[in-house]
Amino acid sequence: MKIIVAIKQVPSRDANVKVNAAGKWIEEQDLNYEINEPDAYALEEALQLKEKHGGEVVALCAGPDRVSQTIREALAKGADRAIHIEADDLNALDTLGVAKMLAAAVKAENADLILTGLQSDDLGLGQTGVVMAELLGIPHGTIIMQVEKSDGGIRVKRELEDGWFQHVEMPLPALLTIQSGISKLRYATLMGIKKAKTKEVKRIAASELGGLAEKAVSLDKVYMPHKQKQTQMIGGSPAEAAKTLVEKLKFEVRVI
Amino acid sequence: MFHLAGLSRLSIASLAIGYAEPVGFSRWEIVLFLVLALASLSAFFARFSKVLVRIFESKKDPDFRLSPIARRVWDFVWEVMCQAKVIKERPLPGLAHAFVFWGFCAFALVTLNHFATGVGFPFLRSRTWVGGFYFWFAAAFAVLTAVSIAALFVRRLFVRPIWLGQKVSYESLFIAFLILALMVTYLGAFYVGASPGTIKALWWAHTLALLIFLPLIPHTKHLHLVLSPVTVFLKREGFSRIPPLAGDEDFGMVTGRDLTQIAALQAYSCVECGRCTEHCPAANTGKVLNPKEVILGLRGYLNELGPKSEEPLIGKHESLEALFQCTTCGSCEYQCPVGIQHLPMIIGMRRGAVNTGVWEDDYGTKLFLALEKNGNALGLSSSERDKFIAKQQFPIFDGTQEYCLWLGCMGGYDPQGREIIASFARVMEYLGTTYGVMKKEKCTGDPARRLGNDLVFQTLVEENLRNFEQNKVKRIVSICPHCVRTMAEDWKEYGVAPEIEHHSEFMARHQSRLPNKDTGETIVYHDPCYLGRYRGVYDQPRQVLALSGTVIDPPRARERSFCCGAGGGLAFLGEEQGERVSHNRAKELVETGAQVVGVACPFCNTMFRDALGATSEAPPKLLDIAQITALQLPQKVAARADG
Amino acid sequence: MSGVLVVLEQRAGQWNRMSWEALAAGQQLAAETNQPLMAAVVGDGVDALKGELGQKKLARGYAVEHALVKEYTADGYTAALEQLVKKIAPDFVVFPHTYQVRDFAPKLATRFGQGLIADVISFHVDGGKPVFVRQLLQGKLNADYRQTASGPCFVSIQAGAFRADALEAGSTEVEVFAPQIDAAQIRNKPGELFRESAQTVDLSAAPIIVSVGRGIKEKENIGIAEELAQALGAELAASRPICDNGWLPMERQVGSSGQTVSPKLYVAVGISGAIQHLVGMKGSKAIVAINKDENAPIFEVADYGIVGDLFEVVPALTKAIKEAKGI
Repeated sequence: MKIIVAIKQVPSRDANVKVNAAGKWIEEQDLNYEINEPDAYALEEALQLKEKHGGEVVALCAGPDRVSQTIREALAKGADRAIHIEADDLNALDTLGVAKMLAAAVKAENADLILTGLQSDDLGLGQTGVVMAELLGIPHGTIIMQVEKSDGGIRVKRELEDGWFQHVEMPLPALLTIQSGISKLRYATLMGIKKAKTKEVKRIAASELGGLAEKAVSLDKVYMPHKQKQTQMIGGSPAEAAKTLVEKLKFEVRVI
Repeated sequence: MFHLAGLSRLSIASLAIGYAEPVGFSRWEIVLFLVLALASLSAFFARFSKVLVRIFESKKDPDFRLSPIARRVWDFVWEVMCQAKVIKERPLPGLAHAFVFWGFCAFALVTLNHFATGVGFPFLRSRTWVGGFYFWFAAAFAVLTAVSIAALFVRRLFVRPIWLGQKVSYESLFIAFLILALMVTYLGAFYVGASPGTIKALWWAHTLALLIFLPLIPHTKHLHLVLSPVTVFLKREGFSRIPPLAGDEDFGMVTGRDLTQIAALQAYSCVECGRCTEHCPAANTGKVLNPKEVILGLRGYLNELGPKSEEPLIGKHESLEALFQCTTCGSCEYQCPVGIQHLPMIIGMRRGAVNTGVWEDDYGTKLFLALEKNGNALGLSSSERDKFIAKQQFPIFDGTQEYCLWLGCMGGYDPQGREIIASFARVMEYLGTTYGVMKKEKCTGDPARRLGNDLVFQTLVEENLRNFEQNKVKRIVSICPHCVRTMAEDWKEYGVAPEIEHHSEFMARHQSRLPNKDTGETIVYHDPCYLGRYRGVYDQPRQVLALSGTVIDPPRARERSFCCGAGGGLAFLGEEQGERVSHNRAKELVETGAQVVGVACPFCNTMFRDALGATSEAPPKLLDIAQITALQLPQKVAARADG
Repeated sequence: MSGVLVVLEQRAGQWNRMSWEALAAGQQLAAETNQPLMAAVVGDGVDALKGELGQKKLARGYAVEHALVKEYTADGYTAALEQLVKKIAPDFVVFPHTYQVRDFAPKLATRFGQGLIADVISFHVDGGKPVFVRQLLQGKLNADYRQTASGPCFVSIQAGAFRADALEAGSTEVEVFAPQIDAAQIRNKPGELFRESAQTVDLSAAPIIVSVGRGIKEKENIGIAEELAQALGAELAASRPICDNGWLPMERQVGSSGQTVSPKLYVAVGISGAIQHLVGMKGSKAIVAINKDENAPIFEVADYGIVGDLFEVVPALTKAIKEAKGI
C-alpha cells in the first residue's frame, strides 16, 4: 500500500503567542514549531498500516525552510521518503489554495491512501483533507479512529458525536482524516534520525504547483481574546456558589 | 653457617619445630609430578586463554587505559591489597575473605617453592634464617586462612544468606574444601615427629590439591582471583560514567559487538557475592531486576556466543523488563568488591533498546514526547514556569549576578519543588548573594540520559548550552542532585559544562552566617543517591540540618542509603511491580521516630510525600534542607517571596 | 437572488440540537444583512421534521428529499445540496459545526470555488459585509475572517456560540426539493451506528470527568461524588491516593502513573493538585476545583474555583445541575 501523509508544522502548543506588528499573524521569532498533533497520529497510522500490509509511506509537507525539521522527524519515525513543497508563507493562501497545491504535488504519486490529521492546531479549519479529496476526485472519511483493509478497499471507523461510531467502507484510492489519540505515538530514535539522513526529500517550489490563486476567504486580522484564562473564584453559600457555577457550566463551558 | 645447619639438623631430628621438607624424590615421582603439573596448567590455560581472547576480541574501549595512574594505584592498594571495601561493607565475612586473600598472597612464595621442591630445586629452606621465618610466617596465615575458610564454608552451607543465591553452590564448597586441605597439608608438615614418609605424603596431598584447584579457577567464579585485581585497576574512570557513543553505527549496547573490553573483563570478574543484589532497591522490593544476574547474563552471552555475535543481548540473556526497573541508585556499582560497574552496562543496554526503538512503554514514550515537545519531564507548558517566576518576582539571570539559580523541572513546575526554590531563594537573599533565574530552561536531560534516549538527551543539552552561552552563565546552584550530576558530569560530552553546586554545598559553605537555633526536633536525613554515592556529598546537608535540630541517620545511611525509587527516569514510569521502593524507605524513616524527615532532592521529596502518608498514620514532617533553613530566617526576609 | 440558507441536521428523524443554534446565527445574519432567512433539512421521509420547521419564522423552508440521502454520505449530501444552493443561490450558507458538517461542507464549498469559514463563534457586519470571528491556536487567539470571492459564502457555527432560545416562531411553507442523484455517485458504504460496549473505563474518551482526591476522607463518602458524576453524565475518576487505598479501581486513576485525560470539563473534588495529578489532567478544556484549602495548587490551574467544604458544596451542585437539566 502506498500511503501519503500530509503533515503540517505548527507553533508548539505551549508557545507564548504575541500578535505581530501587522496584526495579521503572530510574532514568529522565538517561536518553537512542532508537528501538528493530529498529523502525528496520521503518520503513526500510516506507519502501522505499512508495518501490517507493506508498502511505502511518503511524508508531504508544505512550508518554509523550518519545516525540514518536521520532515526529518517524520523520516526518523519511519517514513520512507518525503516531499517538501517550498512555500515561504502559507498564510498567503486560503484552505482551497493550500489543498490545490497539495493535491497537485501528490497527483502523480497515484497513492492508494492519503492520510492527514483531522484539523490543524493553528488554524483549526479542519478541511484541507476533505478539499484535497474533492480536488483529486477520491472518496474520503473524516475523524477516523481505525483503518482496516477490506475486499477492494478499506473499512474505517468514524467517530460521531456523543460516543457514537460508524463503520464505513470505501474503495481505494481514498483520503482519510485521522482523529488525535487513536494510537500510541512512537518517539523518534537516534537510529531513526541517522537513517533519515539518507532518505530522499523531493523539493518542489510552490510556484511549480500552480502558484498563488485568488483567495476565496481572507484572514483580516488576529487579536488576543478578551478573556484570558484566569481562575474565577466563586463565592457565596454552597447553594449560591452551586447555582453560579451551573450558569457558567451552561453558558461558558457549555456542557449542560 | 655451620652452627645454623647443625641447629637445623637438630630440629628435624628431635624437635621438629619448623616446616619439614620432603626429601628424596625418585625419578618416577618427578616425572609424575611434571605430568600432573602440565595437565593442570593445560586445563587452566585451555579455559583461561578463551576468556582472555573473548576479552581482547571485544570492542575497543577508549576508557580501557592506564591513566590516571595514581588514582588507579590507590584503588588497587586500598580495594585489593587492603581489601577495604570487602571488609567495610560486610565486616565478618569480609574479614574472613581478607584473611584468605592475604593467606594466598603469603602462600605465593611457599607454593612456588613447593613446586620447585618437586623438581628438586627448593629455594626456601627451613634451616635458613629467611626460610625458617617465612615458613612460620606462612603458617600463621595458614591458620587464619583455615579458620576463615571453614567459617565461610559454614556460612555458605548452613547460614545461606539469600544474596548468595537460592541454591548452595557445591562448587564453592569444594573449592573451600580444597583451600582447607591446602592449609591443613601445609600445617601438617610442622607436626612434631612426622616420619619422612608422612611428610612426602603431605607434600603430595598439598600438590594434588593445588593442581586440582588451578584448573578450577578459570572454570568457576574463582576466576576473580586472577581477574579482579586487574578489573579494579582498570575500572572506568568516574562513577556511573556513561561513555559517549562512537560513530554513526553505535546505538549503545545492542549485540555482542557492542560489548567493550571493559564490559567483558568485568563480566568475567563477577564473584557472585550478591552484594549488588543485597543493596538493590528493585531486588529488595520484589522486582525482576537483579544486578548480579545482569552481569552473569553478559558473561553467559560471551560464553555462549562470543563478542562478535549479532544476536541481541536482550532476550535469552538479559531481561528488558529488568533493565528498565533500575533506579540507577548506584548501590550495586558502589558495593561491588571486584570493580564491576553495573550502570554503564544497564544504561548501555537501555540505550541500545531506546535508540533503536525496541523499548515500547507507554509512560516512557509519553516522557520522551514531553521532553521533545515541552522540554520538561512533566510535559507542562513553559508558560507555567514563566507564571511561577513572575509570581515570585525572581530576578532573571543576565550575567551580572553571582549565581544562576537553576529551577529544574521540579523547581519550575512542581508545587512542592517550587516551595523549595522559594525557600532557597530566601536563604540566598538573607546571605546577600545575588542570583537570577534563567528566562528559559530545558530539562538537563537526566531522565533521558538514564533511560538511554541519546537523541533527546543531546538535543536538550545542546539547547541548554547555547542558552548558557548567550546569557554568560558561569556559576550555577541547584536544588536537584539529578540536575547537578547531569550538568557537572554528563554534559561534558557536548561542551564545557559550567560550574554547578548543590544547594546543600552552598548552604554548608555559608553555615557560619546562617541562624543557629535548635528547635529541639530530631531530623532524620535521607541521603539522595545522586548527592551521596554520585557526588560524595554526605556531610554538608547534615551540617546545614544540625543548625536547626538533632540530626540522626536511618539504618541505611550515607553510602548505603536506600533509594526513594525516583531515579533513572522511574519517577515518570508506570506502576511498580511488588512493593513500592518509596514505601520501603518511608517505613524505615518513620521507624526512626524523628519528627522531621529532611531531604535534599525534590524527587525524593515527591516520592516520600505519598509514601509517608501511606505508611504512617501520623507521618513526620517532610521538608527540604532549604525549607528547614528558611524557617529559621527572620520573618522580614521570609516574607518577601510570599508577596 | 440572495438570502441566508441554514442547513439543519437530522439523523434518523431526530434533530441535532446544534441545528437550532445555527438557525439562530442565520437569523441574526439575515437580520443584520437585510436578507431573507431560509432553512433546509436533508433526508428521506422527514415529514415530522418538516412540520417542526414550518413553525419557525422563515422566508422559506426546504426539505431536500431523496432515497439516496436517507443515510448520510458525503457524496449524497454534497450532490443534493449543490443542486439546492445552485437553485436558490443564497449569499450565505450556514451550518452547525457538527462532525457531519465537517465531513461534507468543505467538499460542497469546493464545488463553488469557496472555502468554509468553519467553527465561527460570532460575527459583526462591517461595511455591509459580515466579518466572522474564529478561534486560532486552541483559543489563544481570535481571528477575523472575510469572504473575498463572489458567490455563496459557507460558514459553520460553533456549538453554544448562539442561543437557540432566541429563535422566533412563525409559520413557514416547507417546499420539497428533489435532487437528481445517481447511486453510482455514492462511493462510501456507511454501516450502522454503534456505541462501544463499556467494558473498560476509558477516561481519555470521557467528555466530562468528576475526580475525587484525599479530601473525600472516607470510602463511604465517594457516593456524593458519584451522584454529581451521574447528574453531569460524567465518568468518575480519582487521584492516586484514592486508588492506592482501593476506594476506586486503579483504572480510574488520573495522573502521571494513571491515565492522561483532556475532557471538556474536569471537576476536581477535594484534590489538592500534586504535580503527578496535574500532568494527567492539565489538558482539560475547563477545570472546576472544589477544595477547602484556598492555597491548594489545584486552584492555579482551575478555571472556576469554589473554596469550601466539599461535603456541602458537592450535594448543592448536584441539586443545581439536576434542576438545570430538569431531571
